[in-house]
Amino acid sequence: MNDSTIVTDSVKRFKWVGTRPIRPDGVPKVTGRAMYGADLKLPGMLYGKILRSPHAHAKILKIDTTKAAKLPGVKAIVTASDLPEQKNEFIGPERVAVNFWHVTRNILAREKALYEGHAIVGIAATSASIAEEAASLIEVTYEVLPHVIDVDEAMKPGAPLLFEDMIPRGLTEPNPKPSNISKRLEFSMGDIEKGFAAADVVLEKEFTTAAVHQGYIEPHACVAKMEADGQGEIWSSSQGHFQMRALTAKILGCKIGDLRVTPAEIGGGFGGKTVTYLEPVAALLSRKSGLPVRLQMTREDVFKGTGPTSGSSMWAKVGVKKDGTIVAADAVFKFQAGAFPGSPVMNACLCAYSPYDIANARAVGYDVVSNRPKSAAYRAPGAPIGHFAVECVIDMCAKAIGMDPLELRIKNVASIGVPTIAGPKHAHAGFMETLQALKAHPAYANPPTGPNQGRGVACGYWFNGGGESSATMQVNADGTVLVATGSPDIGGSRASMAIMAAETLGVDYNQVRAIVADTGTVGYTHVTGGSRVTFATGMAVVDATKAVIKDVCRRAAMIWDVDPEGVIWEDGFAKPAGANVGDFKPMSLAEIAGKAAATGGPITASAGVNAGAQAPGFGAHFVDVEIDPETGHCTILKYVAAQDVGRAIHPSYVEGQIQGGVVQGIGWALNEEYIYNAKGLLDNAGFLDYRCPVASDMPMIDTILVEVPNPVHPYGAKGVGEVNICPPMAAIANAIESAIKTRMTHLPMSPPRVLAALDGGK
Amino acid sequence: MTATVTFTSGFARKYTNGVREFEVEATNLRGVLREMEKLFPGLGHTLEEETNVAINGELHETGYFQAVPPGAEVFFIPRIEGG
Repeated sequence: MNDSTIVTDSVKRFKWVGTRPIRPDGVPKVTGRAMYGADLKLPGMLYGKILRSPHAHAKILKIDTTKAAKLPGVKAIVTASDLPEQKNEFIGPERVAVNFWHVTRNILAREKALYEGHAIVGIAATSASIAEEAASLIEVTYEVLPHVIDVDEAMKPGAPLLFEDMIPRGLTEPNPKPSNISKRLEFSMGDIEKGFAAADVVLEKEFTTAAVHQGYIEPHACVAKMEADGQGEIWSSSQGHFQMRALTAKILGCKIGDLRVTPAEIGGGFGGKTVTYLEPVAALLSRKSGLPVRLQMTREDVFKGTGPTSGSSMWAKVGVKKDGTIVAADAVFKFQAGAFPGSPVMNACLCAYSPYDIANARAVGYDVVSNRPKSAAYRAPGAPIGHFAVECVIDMCAKAIGMDPLELRIKNVASIGVPTIAGPKHAHAGFMETLQALKAHPAYANPPTGPNQGRGVACGYWFNGGGESSATMQVNADGTVLVATGSPDIGGSRASMAIMAAETLGVDYNQVRAIVADTGTVGYTHVTGGSRVTFATGMAVVDATKAVIKDVCRRAAMIWDVDPEGVIWEDGFAKPAGANVGDFKPMSLAEIAGKAAATGGPITASAGVNAGAQAPGFGAHFVDVEIDPETGHCTILKYVAAQDVGRAIHPSYVEGQIQGGVVQGIGWALNEEYIYNAKGLLDNAGFLDYRCPVASDMPMIDTILVEVPNPVHPYGAKGVGEVNICPPMAAIANAIESAIKTRMTHLPMSPPRVLAALDGGK
Repeated sequence: MTATVTFTSGFARKYTNGVREFEVEATNLRGVLREMEKLFPGLGHTLEEETNVAINGELHETGYFQAVPPGAEVFFIPRIEGG
């Protein structure tokens, strides 16, 4: 991690906000003491195993568990028939609409196996090896069906249908037939034809991207313990234990209040751990056996049975004037949803043009099922894919009119008041400042000049999230402070929460301990996702802290025998509000806490918020690459990422978020892909063959933290976790084009593909 | 106090016979939902369950408590979920 450039116009100085204290979760992690999902062992605990489909698409004719059930040590076997049926209806908002008829079938298949790795049977036994052996004794009779993997193939009439009765939503044609197209979306503004007619240059291109996995290091794991009275406890590694509780209760058909979920330490999620796979099965096995059950995935299970983000097939068209004004843009995004509807295609439609002021624009999206694992959220879900297509065509336009690609973007910045394609106008600045900061980076003036070297620029936009969060603060007898929130800590939120609490309370950071509390200890908190935690949960922490301040001032007034209004809180001390109140020595938090019993009992406060008015994230990157013409290998020579971060509460974590997003984007750009064989089976379900970038692949990624504070947040915070993955794929494609004068249109741009492009170009 | 309520074209096609803009009297989002419910029974509930809202461009969850300033532009959009 580097000390980044911080670009700020802030004159407000803070004692803790903006500093880099040591992370509170560091020591347990580096000493191996942190408890992840698979680390918990309870007395009498059973070991679970999921039997998965070996076929891409097959009817399940019969499941015979007789032999497995007789194996000594086997304590429970469950199939979908042990789960209540769910209604086939979409519930909730369109993008995140949940159909529990689908969800329950993804957790345990019913009529059909829809992808290789689809969970079929759950087994619990006294040892992992017995569970493994039992799985081998289960006889599943399948009728193998034709499969379809590719999104364009899945959309064709006559393609094998995953759901024979699925009628596409949103099509304009009358009486649409059953299809793998789950829905069509369209957003538009202005007059698209008129816009293109006014352009001097109109360029278009087709693109495809491979499905890529979030690549979290820790596989999914949980332990469930269900009691005879129906009450249960689950320990699970997820991005939202309240979400896991609600989904598990719904799938099991029990009350939310019957379950208590404790968050384990989490080894990465990136969106992929907002989904439940194991918890309902573990709970079912525990309920059936009467014993605690641990279920954990192997890496192969993770690749085959959990959601990557969508692969895609896209077309984008952009029209510009000679002076660089973008006058029109059009795009079609076709996204793989996996085996069940629900790709993030809407986000691609809504984000692709949002950094820019484009008067005439249209985005059409298709959500398409195919015989792949159900797609799951991945860092700014959908947005990076759409940006890849549109940012590449914008680069083509810049090159066509001979304009610097960064200057072209500066010319078209969407400032406050400019409408987005969804309709609302931009309410926050930050993009112009980000572009200017990138342009001012010393390296920008020195593009690479060697043979087969080139530079690429690209940008990104992400909404960022707000929503519901809770926090509780307790002041201990010695004046130390506990901050409990319901947000699993993936990106360093415990440090950020402690910093904001310490800053608000005026005490030393080391006096504050932040924890992630279970569903029985703190109020409802939405998932750690959408770059929402520092913003929304941070607001809850500040609110709880302010409530504590009000309480301790009241207690100080009681001790001093003055009116509560006569006490103020300043720099961690209660002080008389003025000379007329009296001559009292300021009281510390520890002194007031020491008299807690006498002044009313424990000092504690809770707060719940539904945080809104979050500001979006803007990112602008440039990358320098060199292509080896003999191998097609792309070396990243230099990478610089500028991002509007609002205010960096803990700059090291913010830099880490940016660098992490860039690294994942580089992997997406150059190497990562799901490779299916002719049978529809995944050929590279492991990190040996699914090539994630490693440290030796990476140069130092320079980060520029552009601080344009969000005035709604007490410390100006904006979400910083996602927008950084939006630009890299297009930036690298644009750099490769600069280097070898060949436009790569398929991700990943792996060495064989670059080599083929070079050969084709000769 | 009057606010302008706007829907996306797709949403309007589905719920408001294609009409995208409405003028309503409300001081908070509860009032907006109530007025839309009067015009299209069931729409208030749909908006509450299925949309986010941008009030003068600022994104919020569709909560009753959100203040709607005079002359505000209230834009209901599909709800977004991140990773």
